[in-house]
Amino acid sequence: MKRNPLALIAANPLMGVFIALVIIFAISIAASPHFLTGYNMSVIARALAFVGLITIGQAMLMILGELDLSLGVIGGLCGVVAGMAMTSGGLPPIVAIPACLLLGAMLGALNGLLVSILKLHSLVLTIGTAGVFGGVNLVLTKGVAITGMPPEIQFFGRGEVYGIPVPFIIMLVVLAIAVFITAKTPFGRFMYAIGNNVAAAEMLGIKVNRIRVLVFTMAGLLAALAGLLMVARLGTAQPSIGETWVLAPIAASVIGGVATTGGVGSPLGAIFGASIIAIIENIIVLFGVSPYWQGVVSGVIVVLAISFDSASRRLIRKES
Amino acid sequence: MVYLEAQKLGRDFPGVRALDEVSITLTLGRVHILAGENGAGKSTLVKLLTGSDTPSQGSIRIDGKDPWQHPEIFETISYVPQELTLFPHLSVAENLFMPFWRSGHGRRVIDRKGMERDAKEYLDRFAIEARPGDLVRQISVPDQQLLQIARASTNRNMKVLILDEPTSALTATEVERVFSVIRDFRKAGLAVIFISHKMDEIFEIGDDYTVLRNGREIETGQIGDCSESELIRAMSGKALKVDDDFRPRGTKTDRVPLLSVRELSGKRFENVSFDLFGGEILGFAGLVGSGRSEVMQTLFGFLRAKSGSAELEGRKWKLGDTSFSVAQGMLYLSEERKHHGILPLLSLRKNIGISILDRTAGRFGISARKESAEVAKVIRDYDIKTDSMGKRISLLSGGNQQKAIIGRAMATSPRVLIFDEPTKGIDVRTKAEIYRIMRDLAERGVAVILISSEMEELRKCASRIITMHAGTTTGEFQTENTTNETLVAAIFGKESASHEA
Repeated sequence: MKRNPLALIAANPLMGVFIALVIIFAISIAASPHFLTGYNMSVIARALAFVGLITIGQAMLMILGELDLSLGVIGGLCGVVAGMAMTSGGLPPIVAIPACLLLGAMLGALNGLLVSILKLHSLVLTIGTAGVFGGVNLVLTKGVAITGMPPEIQFFGRGEVYGIPVPFIIMLVVLAIAVFITAKTPFGRFMYAIGNNVAAAEMLGIKVNRIRVLVFTMAGLLAALAGLLMVARLGTAQPSIGETWVLAPIAASVIGGVATTGGVGSPLGAIFGASIIAIIENIIVLFGVSPYWQGVVSGVIVVLAISFDSASRRLIRKES
Repeated sequence: MVYLEAQKLGRDFPGVRALDEVSITLTLGRVHILAGENGAGKSTLVKLLTGSDTPSQGSIRIDGKDPWQHPEIFETISYVPQELTLFPHLSVAENLFMPFWRSGHGRRVIDRKGMERDAKEYLDRFAIEARPGDLVRQISVPDQQLLQIARASTNRNMKVLILDEPTSALTATEVERVFSVIRDFRKAGLAVIFISHKMDEIFEIGDDYTVLRNGREIETGQIGDCSESELIRAMSGKALKVDDDFRPRGTKTDRVPLLSVRELSGKRFENVSFDLFGGEILGFAGLVGSGRSEVMQTLFGFLRAKSGSAELEGRKWKLGDTSFSVAQGMLYLSEERKHHGILPLLSLRKNIGISILDRTAGRFGISARKESAEVAKVIRDYDIKTDSMGKRISLLSGGNQQKAIIGRAMATSPRVLIFDEPTKGIDVRTKAEIYRIMRDLAERGVAVILISSEMEELRKCASRIITMHAGTTTGEFQTENTTNETLVAAIFGKESASHEA
């Protein structure tokens, strides 16, 4: 029997976005001689690392049926708090960094607890907490960047191992853990169950609130990690860190097959989606498009990618 | 007069022929029964007749025309699905006349007064108690069910009305309301398709019938020329003894109860006490809304208890925590399969696998091999029909979903199992299978609670029946020496009934 290529995509939903990624990669190679160079690849990888960490957290929340719009702000706040602790606070990085990761985890947990206890919609709640966390950031920094970071942390932001940027390696390690959790552990199965049907999950005896709080905590932790790596890369703690980490991770997850309504998808797909966005943004720069137009172009391409994806999904459904 | 004629309809999906050479003729002024087990192809056929899906083979003629040339003709066919598809936050009148332009209640601005006035007419005709201005989420489930039918009939061009199990959530009096409406439609010269699993309803309301099995047309004819057992045989493919006794055998005199519930109160019920013994099927009878489901959901921990206590084997039972209940071996199988049972986007394998992760997960995560083996066993043991265990559970038929949920529960070796209306919307043969499963469980020592509004079902399966009315228990009866009348009196709140037992 001849195998229908669509059936192959239907069998593994990751195939669709992976093929799209390969096609876009190939087009980019053909389109610009500057694309496939070691330097440009490491530029893309570095950009992908930060937004990728947020994307992994956001994708896991979306699988659960939740969203956290404050992840970017948590990253920014944890970055500046770490910056202040290591400069004016005089704390060594070995103390400041874990403390700020813990802070991120706690802010994430706070979101999860409020959603669970007050039974609030996470989208609405985190618009509120994002305002609070962002406000605290500005109160602390008064909008001014903190300079004079200890040089030893720069390795985590700027360093390379065998030519691969360190933040990218960290992101890949986190991704591997996230994929293992979601695909292979009971905890991950429970996440999908909750995202599918909260009432049914509760009837199966799944501790819904505990899992929800834990996933919010993980997402907060990853946001703090992204913020700290960004500080390490810039060498200064900018209050504006994380401003662009809100919508791109959600778009990346949707492109990668994670539904905003929960219950399906994988962090790996979300990272494929984030890669597509990162490549598109990169190729726009290589073509010398005015920076003022970049938002427009990348926005249009994201909408196209999502429409293409949903159209192909409908086609698959019709076929089967 | 023949209005709709479908010839040798077929519908193929990759790997499956869902419908194969099915013909059906609808005559105005007659009620056509569409019968068949779950997964027989009834829904597929209905989709083709309403134009929401296109046939792979065959032809349809409606009013002498080819509907694919004249798609507007599909507007003469109204379909009322089994599930409620109303807008809960809109008013009764708004639900009736949505979309407003069709009913002439405003193309740009909604004429609310006129709409509510016209709604009154429909509400009276269908004997719906709600007022036009009430929000749909505040009215009773039977009213919602009738409102759905009323909504379909606001279509002035309607010639064919398709009712998909309209009575599954209704009590006898409410069924009578639906039937009088159907009779009016018949008198007014409409063709009605009536899908139901209930034999008494089929014989009361039907004129013609078509039986489907495995996507094929098995038999067609007039209800008057056919008997109940013939119809069941046509549906199931074999003669089936319907009135079997499924009560578990075994003695349970002078034994301590496995579970005792004392003065439990919660949302919509007060002061419920009862004992449950291992090895028995305890029936809970009551009308929809009498509080029987709420009692069990509260005991299970899904709903919050106001007061009261329970003990399992003499140890205190923790209320309000489903994961405690599951860990102690209590499972509750809800009548709301869609809302409380299945994980719709996940595969059959993951749906069943979710309850046996303690056996399939090791240090390196869930073993796909172990899980597949365990799930394959459940699929085999409970005769779940699917082409693969990777298939999304929402694509299986209702009966197979139910079997998957029961199989999943069994795989955890429970000690107390609560079945809430387990045969709602389930065909006759699968019903018998479910009764058998319950009996086997009880005979292995599991304590089973069966909630049902069908007296026959309770008498067939339960050795002891507790009746409920308006949130309180009204009696406890031994099935053997209790008449149907006594039970019915008790669920309608005749307190004196319990003294006769």
